[in-house]
Amino acid sequence: MMLWGLLWTLFFSGLQAAAQSKEEKYVLQEGETLTVDCPSNMKYAYNRKAWQRLRNGEEPQTLAVTERSQGTLNQIQVGRYLLRDDPPESMFQVRMINLQVEDSGLYRCVVYFPPPKEPVLLFHPVRLVVTADPSTKRTSDKNSTPKLAPTTIRPTTLPTTKTLRTFYTSSRTVVQSLPMPTAVIPPNTTVNHTDAIRLSVFSIVAPVACGILIKSLVFTVLFVVTQRSFGL
Amino acid sequence: MSRPCALLAWALLALFGLGAAQNKETPACCGPIVPRSEWGARPSECSQPLTQPVRYVVISHTAGSNCDTPASCRQQAQNVQHYHASTRRWCDVAYNFLIGEDGLVYEGRGWNIKGDHTGPTWNPISIGITFMGNYMERVPPARAIRAAQSLMACGVAKGALRPDYEIKGHRDVQNTLSPGDQLYAIIQNWPHYRE
Repeated sequence: MMLWGLLWTLFFSGLQAAAQSKEEKYVLQEGETLTVDCPSNMKYAYNRKAWQRLRNGEEPQTLAVTERSQGTLNQIQVGRYLLRDDPPESMFQVRMINLQVEDSGLYRCVVYFPPPKEPVLLFHPVRLVVTADPSTKRTSDKNSTPKLAPTTIRPTTLPTTKTLRTFYTSSRTVVQSLPMPTAVIPPNTTVNHTDAIRLSVFSIVAPVACGILIKSLVFTVLFVVTQRSFGL
Repeated sequence: MSRPCALLAWALLALFGLGAAQNKETPACCGPIVPRSEWGARPSECSQPLTQPVRYVVISHTAGSNCDTPASCRQQAQNVQHYHASTRRWCDVAYNFLIGEDGLVYEGRGWNIKGDHTGPTWNPISIGITFMGNYMERVPPARAIRAAQSLMACGVAKGALRPDYEIKGHRDVQNTLSPGDQLYAIIQNWPHYRE
């Protein structure tokens, strides 16, 4: 009887956790734009929204956050991140322009509250995979230290201003030249590649391990029951 | 332990495995839906398709009269369509499906055509199911609730809805009282509801 209880608990807890935290995968090429539509709720009309990056074993990193909301459509650009919060339509849209391979990782849309209140997840965690553009010729630029700096140190440039105008019409667009200490990496430091690898391995290993654990428990029970029925 | 016990254990575990694999969805055979021709619908002039499978369901109420017989609900469905098509000048009744207190599902725009039940952001990404009546101070009868849930299970079975579809109350996504306080409280307890 104890084993039954254990099996039941394992099944249910696995399914529950899986529902909301199931990742949504987006695969794009370098230079392309990621667009994520995160449904919100009318009750969050006056709350700020944020786009965060999740790294294994670290606190979520807030990449961009909307300004204090009047409950109307408001947009903000922070570096390569474009946030468009439309409270009357209950939709929060995030765009990441000019994607780099190093952008690959796990992200999420949240309703942002001042600490210590925890943010509320909107939509599902976003698993972004940015593939290298095979057509670009990489010369001395691509060595052992991947350079994020050249693209992020210019927060005021808008490489796709034209595209922006076609998407956003009568709304207040604020371009912030924020110093982003967490996103801008000085040219001399080396980026730890293993972080990204560790995260992707973990997100594969964990569900697989769970599956193996459940299956092995099921087989053990079946084995024992069968043995007993044959009077062994 | 005896042979029958062992067999029973095998069978139960197999069933649990199946249940888990189906993500706890009740196997759905689609229940009866009153087709447009049967409730006397005027022809639709809508043409915008919905991209399937759809991820969201928006539950609303008409805030109008309720009906509790097939005859009166047939009439009510016509009334709602008339209001939407003639007065609001939409291409058809706004909803994808209507639920009557007779416990029947009435075909509106169906699974494949975009509705006009919410707004420009949510109409293209959701199925709009409405309960015919005003549910601020009343609850729909159990048979109406069952009809709605059966309809959504049917949507999943047909591939019109994603298996992990999410239910929203109309007031969650637009500034409105719909689907009414009482019905809203009910749907918040539905398994697929997500705030």
